[in-house]
Amino acid sequence: MSRGGRQTYAALSVLAAGALVLTGCSKGGSNANDNEKKDQQNAKRQQSSIKFGNAADSQGPAAAVPGAKAGGTLEVLQRDSYAHLDPGQIYVSDEGSLATLIHRGLTGYKATSSDGSKHEVVGDLATDSGTTTDGGKTWKYTLKDGIKFSDGTPITSADFRQTFERLFASFINQGPTYIQQWMADTSGSDYRKLLPDGPYKGKHLPDSVLETPDAKTIVFHFKTAHPDLPYALAMAGYDVVSKKGDTKEKYDKAPLTTGPYKIQSFKSGKSMVLVKNPNWDPKTDPIRNQYVNQMNFTFNSQYEDSTKALLADTGADQTGISFNNSVDAGNIAKVLGGDAAIKARTVAGYQPYVGQININQSHAALKDKTVRQAIAYALPITPIIRAFGGSAAAEVAGGFISPTVSGYDASFDPWGKKKNPGGDAAKAKALLKKAGKLGLKLTYGYQNTPEGQQYSTAIAAALTKAGFNVQRQDIPAETYYDQIGKVNNNYDIYASAWGADWPSASTVIPPLFDGRAVADGSPNYSHVNDPKVNADIDAANKIADPIKSAEAWEKIDEYLAKDVINAVPTIYYKQVQIAGSKVGGLVYDDVIGGIDPRRLYIK
Amino acid sequence: MLRFLVRRFLGAVVILFLLSIVTFLLFFGMPRDPALLMCGKTCNPQSLANIHHVLGLDKSIPEQYGIFLHNLVFGSNQFAQGPCPAPCFGYSYHTNDQVWATMMDRLPTTLSLTLGAAVVFLIVGLGTGMVAAWRRGTLLDKTVTAGSMVISSLQIYFLGPLALAALVYQSHIFSKPAYNDFTANPITWFSGLIIPWVVLSTIFASQYTRMARSSMIEQLQEEHVRTARAKGMSRKYVFFRYAWRGSLIPIVTIFGIDLGSLLGGAIITEFTFGLPGLGMLAVQSVQFSDLPLLLGVMLFSAAMILLCNIVVDACYAFIDPRVRLS
Repeated sequence: MSRGGRQTYAALSVLAAGALVLTGCSKGGSNANDNEKKDQQNAKRQQSSIKFGNAADSQGPAAAVPGAKAGGTLEVLQRDSYAHLDPGQIYVSDEGSLATLIHRGLTGYKATSSDGSKHEVVGDLATDSGTTTDGGKTWKYTLKDGIKFSDGTPITSADFRQTFERLFASFINQGPTYIQQWMADTSGSDYRKLLPDGPYKGKHLPDSVLETPDAKTIVFHFKTAHPDLPYALAMAGYDVVSKKGDTKEKYDKAPLTTGPYKIQSFKSGKSMVLVKNPNWDPKTDPIRNQYVNQMNFTFNSQYEDSTKALLADTGADQTGISFNNSVDAGNIAKVLGGDAAIKARTVAGYQPYVGQININQSHAALKDKTVRQAIAYALPITPIIRAFGGSAAAEVAGGFISPTVSGYDASFDPWGKKKNPGGDAAKAKALLKKAGKLGLKLTYGYQNTPEGQQYSTAIAAALTKAGFNVQRQDIPAETYYDQIGKVNNNYDIYASAWGADWPSASTVIPPLFDGRAVADGSPNYSHVNDPKVNADIDAANKIADPIKSAEAWEKIDEYLAKDVINAVPTIYYKQVQIAGSKVGGLVYDDVIGGIDPRRLYIK
Repeated sequence: MLRFLVRRFLGAVVILFLLSIVTFLLFFGMPRDPALLMCGKTCNPQSLANIHHVLGLDKSIPEQYGIFLHNLVFGSNQFAQGPCPAPCFGYSYHTNDQVWATMMDRLPTTLSLTLGAAVVFLIVGLGTGMVAAWRRGTLLDKTVTAGSMVISSLQIYFLGPLALAALVYQSHIFSKPAYNDFTANPITWFSGLIIPWVVLSTIFASQYTRMARSSMIEQLQEEHVRTARAKGMSRKYVFFRYAWRGSLIPIVTIFGIDLGSLLGGAIITEFTFGLPGLGMLAVQSVQFSDLPLLLGVMLFSAAMILLCNIVVDACYAFIDPRVRLS
């Protein structure tokens, strides 16, 4: 699940909280290396194995979790409350985790191994992951029998028509927009022109775009091929909304659910209670289990609080967990230390986000490639990793594609950062001298957070050592992405981060580097507009074969990082999570980017 | 007395009105366009203009303020999210919840935290201060004075995590702080708030100890107190009948301000202990640049301080006969 622009700030705020204390994991050096290797192996397996499942793969019930038993109450400690419950408004990862329990869509990710490391895209409410006969322009889905909303009403194709048509209404403004854009065959927010008021004023999408010939069939028609549709449909933002129960804006507070749990109560900012949904039929669901009777969510639990409570493991916290809180930086060493009992209830893995330092290509001095090379060599990555909590929280990045995404190449390291994460000031200085730009003024805009303050100082020092005249300028955290998102911003370099929406780089490279989308607010923060990149993006988008597509994206990624140098990849974000000793079925899911809530049980 | 109270209330309304103008204008000085929060990831100038229109941000600032005031007094049915009865602060940009309803939902937490802590810090603070004044110059006095100095130098963000580590996570003596509805279960309500009460009142009690001690010592040196002693009244009688009441005046003044501030949200305490009160709400409203919520919490906090000050003024008359006579 991706978080760009303002969303990225939210994401990084989540990551950043609690990372105030440096942890070098000095006690567990070998453990840290072991964990890193395991994370990479899991990610490799996952990104190479996601296939589109057929009807047999899409049949329920989901595989039983070994040793699982029904009953009990799970206590969920969350830092942030849920701002949105309407599927159409769900995009950030906190709400995405919740959605795995309460909402369902046409497709979904099914774990095909008990450790959560292998997945396939299967039909969730649909009988399969979708069929196309023309390379991805037309996709047909058939709904399963026995699927219902939590109020007992059957789910039909009319509900899916409503689901997709309402995404064009102006009040739906937080969720993903891929399919709307594909339907309208346009970019940006121009897709709304296709159905400006949604379905609420009697107009509907024409059959040439969305066809629902009977109660069970849904057919998507696109003008260009979109082989990634099964991935896109697995996003929570495209989960089904009841036509009968659609209350527009109010649906965001009290939606009808379709997953194994329904909302018994929700007090925004305080608490939420989920109970079993009696109208969920496990025989229709190949993805989810329903072991726990009830889930009690408590919000406002900071990372340090939830970690300490779960480490203490007493009372209700023994059945406690957090879906999205990481172990705080101050306790990572303890959690990953030698205590086997604690390690047994700990999971770790990659998050989908990749950090980068953008080089503003709107500024004349930075159009010189040698200068950009000098910046790339000089940048130290170690201070960034330290600032975010050490090797358990971040890892040196080679390219812009995360280890959880197809197209990732672990050996790619254009600037030698994996061998020398401290940067190469001498080489940088030589390049700068060669370019005749020694003493070049660089305005470094950094996010005014504890982490930003910490690593920006070290980065400025390294660049100064390499011969740049660095001026640090703080940018308030709340407006950071607004400021760097302006095409005419005053900064030369600045950090950003981006995560994939599904395990394909088609949700990374185009939004970040398509030069035709350079505009205020666009995540193309470097303002790169390279004709070759643009052409390669168009070509890669048309490739239907996932393996060939991944290869194409990998080539673009390497070309960008090594030859265009519009940005320097910095870190792959990781996280460690912990649960109480009586929580079973604990697995880190690379697709979710955190604990998988669908398989949890109380021991 | 009634005229006095009416006058003070009218004054408070004027102050709130002026404050609302200042606060409202301050938000427009912020470097961030609130519409951007609702614009989503496909934001473009057209959709931004549309949101400006929906939020009324395309109107002039005086016009927007007029609508804000109208909604506050009369309510509004113009919000897409639903009706907004008076006092209407609008709907949160971030959660789409009604601001006033959200604040009222969070008030019991802040009220419980504040009143519970106030009882503790008043009893402990005044008690130790009086004892120190009574035993002025003794070892007890010096110990109390030094102790209160040390404690008052502590901060909640230091003492809070320390208390949690020692009393909850290490020794498991107390359960994790939490707010539970008093009407649902008074015992869990009490047990969930013990640590926040103790921590909050520890900080405040030390200040009240020093204030009570110095105020009492000052009162004991007043002429009317010395006259009473000279007339043969017992030390104990004079202490409680004359000096104690007089010493309460400055304490009540400060207490009114403290109580009002805390009722507006004990930000650090609520944040430290994860209590979903008005203070936590203020933090979240800043975090998400949620202007309607921020405006609501700020005005509510200001109203609490003004209200407490009016109550304090009324209390003077009961505490000090000289005020009553004048």
